[in-house]
Amino acid sequence: MTQLILEDQHGETTMVNMGPQHPSTHGVINLRLLLQGEVIAKIDPIVGFLHRSIEKLGEMTPYPGFLPYTDRVDYLSAMFGNQVYCMAVEELLGVEVPRRAEYLRVIACELNRIISHLIAVGTMAMDLGAFTPFLHAIRERETVNDFMERICGARINYSYMRIGGVPRDLEPGLDKDILKFLDRFEKFIPEFNRLITGNEIFVRRLIDLAVIPAADAISCGLSGPNLRSSGVDYDLRRDRPYSAYPEFEFRVVTGEGYRGQTGDCYARYWVRIDEMLESAKIVRQALLGLPEGDVKAKVPRKITPPKGEVYSAVESSRGEMGCYLVSDGGEQPLRVRFRTGSFTAMTVLPKIVPGLMVADLTAFFGSLDVVAPEIDR
Amino acid sequence: MSSTVFDYFTNIRNAFTSIFHGLAVTFSYLFRKPTTIQYPDRIDTPVQQMLPPLFRGILEVDVGLCIGCNLCEKTCPLGCLRTAVVRDPETNQRYITRFDVDISKCMVCGLCSENCPTGAVRHSTEFEASTANMVNLVIRYVKPGERIPVHKPVKGEESPGLPQNEPIARAHKEWDEPPPVDPDQVRGRVRWKNDGAPEEEQSS
Ligand code: SF4
Ligand code: SF4
Repeated sequence: MTQLILEDQHGETTMVNMGPQHPSTHGVINLRLLLQGEVIAKIDPIVGFLHRSIEKLGEMTPYPGFLPYTDRVDYLSAMFGNQVYCMAVEELLGVEVPRRAEYLRVIACELNRIISHLIAVGTMAMDLGAFTPFLHAIRERETVNDFMERICGARINYSYMRIGGVPRDLEPGLDKDILKFLDRFEKFIPEFNRLITGNEIFVRRLIDLAVIPAADAISCGLSGPNLRSSGVDYDLRRDRPYSAYPEFEFRVVTGEGYRGQTGDCYARYWVRIDEMLESAKIVRQALLGLPEGDVKAKVPRKITPPKGEVYSAVESSRGEMGCYLVSDGGEQPLRVRFRTGSFTAMTVLPKIVPGLMVADLTAFFGSLDVVAPEIDR
Repeated sequence: MSSTVFDYFTNIRNAFTSIFHGLAVTFSYLFRKPTTIQYPDRIDTPVQQMLPPLFRGILEVDVGLCIGCNLCEKTCPLGCLRTAVVRDPETNQRYITRFDVDISKCMVCGLCSENCPTGAVRHSTEFEASTANMVNLVIRYVKPGERIPVHKPVKGEESPGLPQNEPIARAHKEWDEPPPVDPDQVRGRVRWKNDGAPEEEQSS
């Protein structure tokens, strides 16, 4: 069908720059579009505007001092940056993290996933012109942010984890408050679904749009919710267990095409909605089964891991977040490298977007849930 | 794609009912308590007092508690803190002669306050730091020329720490007269080794 529309044109193309400052790109990304009429013939994502050379900074900073920088890799899910870096250094050092600390990390990470997915679904609705759901999502997010503030003292750039554990225990009474919130949150999601997810106009706007077939998703290296919505049942939390995840029961959500088909924009939206409920489940299990014990293993103040290299990966809210660390036995890493889900999500654009209308690109880009600083780092 | 007339009308009905569901949710919020508060006016308690005690705000320092170990300066990844300690050769008493915090660079990560053995450097709940002049963001806790004897913790006794939520020295204060700031030393780049801090003594 798209081929037909292209042939209807008289071979005239226009080059349009979408971004670097565009409300629907969620950050500084330049999408260079070649348009034939209203249809996109070619797309060229130009990234790198937000490059902060975090990897280079890592090579200049001692191991413990680099931790706050890992927040800034992906500011919407800073916990995962913390965790992947701490896991890498701990593996280099051979430090065993206490079980209570692992549980606290899981609680913090899953709360962070809820925050991040709320933003994702909220901004996606906002991109399509529905502003109210965004405010509802933000309201819930603020509540979780308040918990984050009580867990670690900050609302966005958490810097919560430390090499060897977490710096402090939960403050008394916080677990009860979080459980109370989870009860409310599990009622909020159906309300949110009534508000926007089930809205026929919203559904019609998204179903069958920009389908990413499973084979394309795998070959482009997509991961996380974007991969799972294409029907690929792959989740690092279950398939390459780390931290305390093997001890929890949860369902890996895949886009089964609840409306429309597997791998369309609506499936990507739905996977995120469903994953929030799964995260809530994990937080509840972790809070109820919180083991006693220390929260931080003994690590020397000056960290000098032995020579070696290590790769650790966590399932962040935007896909696999990996950290590759090379140590030369010194106080600073020889090489730090981050693998992030948003960057690989950009590679799928030239495959899927040609043939879409400009207005559909907004919906598609919103459904990928990329965060610009995470692309460039 | 709807192919029959029946589908066509079903779609229209679905659209109407789903919009009605959404509007019902919105309408129900008309009768709930508002979740937002007006900032900065129209609040009874300042936001600073509503924040949890763990909140990592602008750093504040009680120099009277500092043992001059220089750990905070060493742990800060950005070099926001500058301390200097001198030893009186006659009495062997050590004095802190410099304690500068550059809060314009600080990313409130909490590494320094965590490593401080006595709790002399800690986070306040203060966060409003906007000022017309960047120099105001360099807080000097020891006036130039002043010498403050280092704190001697009593063995076996918990360090008193600082009272939570009670600002000792409001971190954000305007200088009557901006201090002469050596731009090289305070606003340097990330430099870890030997960046020309004043003569200081190694901690024992
Ligand atoms: S809070 Fe972090 S950035 Fe700020 S002075 Fe302390 S260590 Fe440095
Ligand atoms: S770590 Fe604490 S005691 Fe040591 S120099 Fe810094 S403020 Fe003083």
